[in-house]
Amino acid sequence: MKFTELTKNGKFIITSELGPPKGFHIEKALHEAEVVWPYVNAINVTDNQSSVMRLGGLAMCKALLEKNIEPVFQVTCRDRNRLALQSDILSAALFGIDNLLLLTGDHTTLGDHKDAKPVFDLDSVSLTHMVKQLEAGKDLAGNILDGEPPKFCKGAVVSPCAEPLDPQLFKMEKKIKAGIEFFQTQAVYEVDKFDKFMKRVKEFGVPVYVGIVILKGPGMAKFMNENVAGINVPQELIEELKKDKEKTKSGQTGIEIAARLIKDLKPLCQGVHLMPLGWDDKVPQILKLSGITVDK
Amino acid sequence: MPKLDFTKYKLKSKEELADILALKKRIFVLSCNKCFNELTSDLEPETAELNILLNETGKTATGSRALDFLCNKFLTEKTLSGLKEEVAGADAVAVIACGVGVQTIAGILNVPVLPMADSVFQGGYHGISLNAEKCGACGECYLTLTGGICPVVDCSKGLINGPCGGAKNGKCEVSKDKDCAWENIYNRLKGQNREKVFILQEPKLRNYNKNSAEFMDSYVKTIQAKRNEGFYGGLYPEEKKELTEKLPITKITAPEIVSIPLQQHAGAVCEALVKKGDKVKAGQRIGESKAAISAFVHSSVSGEVLAVEPKKHPLLPEPVLTVVIKNDKRDEVSFAANSKGSLELSAKEDILKAIKEAGIVGMGGAQFPTHIKLNSNKPIDTILLNGCECEPLLNADYRLMVEKPEQIILGLKLLMKAAGVNKGIIAVEDNKPEALRILKAKVEGDLTVEVVPVKTKYPEGAERMLIKRVLNREVPRGGLPLEVGVIVNNIGTALAVYQAVYTGEPLISRVVTVAGEGVEKPGNYEIKTGMLLSEIVNICGINIPSNYELKMGGAIMGFVQTDFEVPVIKGTNGIVVVRKKDDLTAEPCIKCGRCVNVCPMELKPHKLVFYAQAENWEKVENEGVFNCIECGCCEDICSSKSHMVEIFKKSKKLIRERKK
Amino acid sequence: MLITQLKKKEDILPFLKAKTLLVACFGCKEVYFPEKEYKNIKEELKTLYPGLSGEIILDYLCNEDYTGKRLELYRQELEKAETIVVFACGVGVQTLAGLLASKTVLAGCDTYYLPGFSGFTPSSYDCEQCGECRLSSTAGICPVTACSKGLLNGPCGGAKNGKCEVSKIKECGWENIMNKITTTGKVAGKLKESVSIRDYKKSQ
Repeated sequence: MKFTELTKNGKFIITSELGPPKGFHIEKALHEAEVVWPYVNAINVTDNQSSVMRLGGLAMCKALLEKNIEPVFQVTCRDRNRLALQSDILSAALFGIDNLLLLTGDHTTLGDHKDAKPVFDLDSVSLTHMVKQLEAGKDLAGNILDGEPPKFCKGAVVSPCAEPLDPQLFKMEKKIKAGIEFFQTQAVYEVDKFDKFMKRVKEFGVPVYVGIVILKGPGMAKFMNENVAGINVPQELIEELKKDKEKTKSGQTGIEIAARLIKDLKPLCQGVHLMPLGWDDKVPQILKLSGITVDK
Repeated sequence: MPKLDFTKYKLKSKEELADILALKKRIFVLSCNKCFNELTSDLEPETAELNILLNETGKTATGSRALDFLCNKFLTEKTLSGLKEEVAGADAVAVIACGVGVQTIAGILNVPVLPMADSVFQGGYHGISLNAEKCGACGECYLTLTGGICPVVDCSKGLINGPCGGAKNGKCEVSKDKDCAWENIYNRLKGQNREKVFILQEPKLRNYNKNSAEFMDSYVKTIQAKRNEGFYGGLYPEEKKELTEKLPITKITAPEIVSIPLQQHAGAVCEALVKKGDKVKAGQRIGESKAAISAFVHSSVSGEVLAVEPKKHPLLPEPVLTVVIKNDKRDEVSFAANSKGSLELSAKEDILKAIKEAGIVGMGGAQFPTHIKLNSNKPIDTILLNGCECEPLLNADYRLMVEKPEQIILGLKLLMKAAGVNKGIIAVEDNKPEALRILKAKVEGDLTVEVVPVKTKYPEGAERMLIKRVLNREVPRGGLPLEVGVIVNNIGTALAVYQAVYTGEPLISRVVTVAGEGVEKPGNYEIKTGMLLSEIVNICGINIPSNYELKMGGAIMGFVQTDFEVPVIKGTNGIVVVRKKDDLTAEPCIKCGRCVNVCPMELKPHKLVFYAQAENWEKVENEGVFNCIECGCCEDICSSKSHMVEIFKKSKKLIRERKK
Repeated sequence: MLITQLKKKEDILPFLKAKTLLVACFGCKEVYFPEKEYKNIKEELKTLYPGLSGEIILDYLCNEDYTGKRLELYRQELEKAETIVVFACGVGVQTLAGLLASKTVLAGCDTYYLPGFSGFTPSSYDCEQCGECRLSSTAGICPVTACSKGLLNGPCGGAKNGKCEVSKIKECGWENIMNKITTTGKVAGKLKESVSIRDYKKSQ
């Protein structure tokens, strides 16, 4: 079901994330999805995440649908030009995919095929515009589509804790103007900053689902602080991770931090988006601990 | 061959321009003289078009300026600083240029900068001439495998492993006007029996990460930084110093006959003080002039005057009055050391007098009388000794610095005393570490003399460049170093000053580097002035190969000699054999901009040529022809093979004559 | 503007056949030609390959007129050689290969692109000749070249501390654009409203 309708009905949206495998054996991935599914409204399927080549997102979405799991089809502009993007979006409509997450995508040089040609024929804004065109029954060149046009719920991403924030807001507004209906955010660890962000974007009237990445240890936190855009893990959280090494190693500290964050952030926004990065089995525990239940 | 037009931009449509300018009222217009097409006019048709549009839409043009090469940030910044007030009055600056030009302006000015043009895609055109070959700058050249036809650019899909199959009748599927690059490649390879080599290659994959940010930073930015090191422009010619740098100075025995021109200096020619049949001694004054600018001339040998008559001069087009002396080999000298001849005992006036008596001139080539240079009415604070010797092949100064450092330093101190200054600097290019080491050791602890290394770049030895580099003072264009408190002297000159004061010996011999292709005995020779080139050619075993020529002076700025019956004079620092430039006819200027990029005087040589050819002398002068130092960088780099230096020399002469 | 980097000798040696002549173009060396490296590789090739027949140093190989005339001037050397290794940019190699269609012409260099394409001053500014200049709405900073993804509609969000995700030494073009728009007080209205899509036809 489309997020827009769920939100309209006053529902708090919970999503998680799944990376397709490097290979075509999807049993393990499917199993992970099935573990998480009872607790979430939908599962995002990433698109060659971090520019690392994997099984196609469209096929993975189809496999989830066959298990009656609601997917969010992530689409980036890195690997496909406008022809390929449009035909993939139409294919998604054929499979009955309702929700799209439209992104620019990481640069090719960040991934495992550094020599590849970065396409970026379109970007997240023009990609949104393109989907909207398709929904209006036309392709990007203005040619009429056969039959009834597709209809999606179109989402995008934003970094609420990025410094500086203004370029983010500028782009967010632009995305909304182009047709974006919901936002999933980069991981948030700073409640104050997120609060400020939400106050500034309130006027846009578009639902925001806050991003949560489980902290696996102090090393990961430090790495993200140094290298990942829009993420700043506060020192006290790093200290907390350092305090009890065993507890952190078992994932318990990360789970507690994530649950606490969700509790604090929930009143500020319209949903939560969990990015477990392989710790899918921890998702149920986090959600339970945070005291939120899924309303499908 | 017809020249193509690789103009980089075209004016946007009226509607677009109106849209961009919608909220602006007062507009300042900057336009760029299109590069990479034939230079046929210095006018900008687009400027007129834009002005009409501004008029029609009720805008006020607060001013306009057409510049060459807006992308040249260094020069553009300078020009714009002179336009500050005009620009300040505008709401926006409209720029008619390619994207690089617009961005350069936007990076300099803090007002809205609006592009009036769209860049025209030239599809990999990056050549310097206007031919059709293109290069995609992929960073992994495939031409070795593809018979010299580029698959990246010439194939519309940029395929690198063979044709796609879309071609029909040899034409690409994209356009019937476009050859299938791969059919051309195949035919060329087959013609050379090389198609198998290609077939046996592993499949190729393009690496699109070749121009990574890191690569651009480490490779490209360092090149750019090096380019602008020290002073704007200049070149890095092949130095070839190794031919003679290790060869100590040796004396060449005085010849049977010397021919001593009475002009070996800038200024008035001397009158002869001797006549045929007179006996003279070495060092005896044989020529002098009462003119304000001149220098005495002395006999370099003892003997009998055979003739006083006009003879061919190595630098001047017309014959010059010359004293011909037969050497009696008695080595009788007319000079002697003075008891007061030392740095400590000589007063300022004594030194100046000694320099004048000795007929010392600038020995780097320009031959300006040293005593006049020192007698400045402007406040001077520094004597700069020029040890750059930036011309290829030459080592005369280098050998002096290595072999006679004490004398040179004393010479410098004498010059300082004569000019009444407390500061002396010896600037040496960093390709002469040995000279730097020796001189530095000799001045250690001396607070008045400093030895400064400078980066090697031609023409580092030009006064203006050197002053900028060493003292960071800018000599005003058309001005002299005096105006910034500096007098520049040559290494050889310093030694001559030392000799004049300490031994009383006038300037009658000098060190000359003889080197180059076909020189059997290259070296650094101490040669008596007046010795004929023909004798040196014999002694050093010079056989000039075909396509080579002999120059007196440096390899770049030296004067070509075809008649060897000319003498060595005070300014002769080298006798070099260099390759002739290939005999190619000058083609029309295509505004490649190279000359502007290398001109150390920050002139626009291509414009000077353009106006000189149009005989618009006023513009030639306004564009600054008199600031040209004739260093030859522009001519060396000219992609259209224009004989620029010759054109500028003629222009100067003509303009001077017209003014008389 | 093109600059060159020498290929490795291992990439050149296997293609040498019979008598081989080296041709080097020093035309653009005031901007950059790896002259010293060229001399080194020449010496190395000399010792490794006995069939080197000589060397010609020219300038502006890209000028077909001049190169054609020079082929006459250097005919003897050229006739002797079967293989010619050209140390020049891609334009130079192609020009010579076109004029000497019967000879095996090999590339001795890889060619790179120097920002400021005009062939004139190397510049930190770059123009990709997209044919639809947007600088009026981007404060004179080009999103096509200053952004590593060439994004037209704003930053991708991948920048950290003002630096691009592809490299910590590369500034985020869009942050610079946004900053400049704020400092020059220009309204980003239009930039916000419209969706820009590149017309690649204009740069083909």
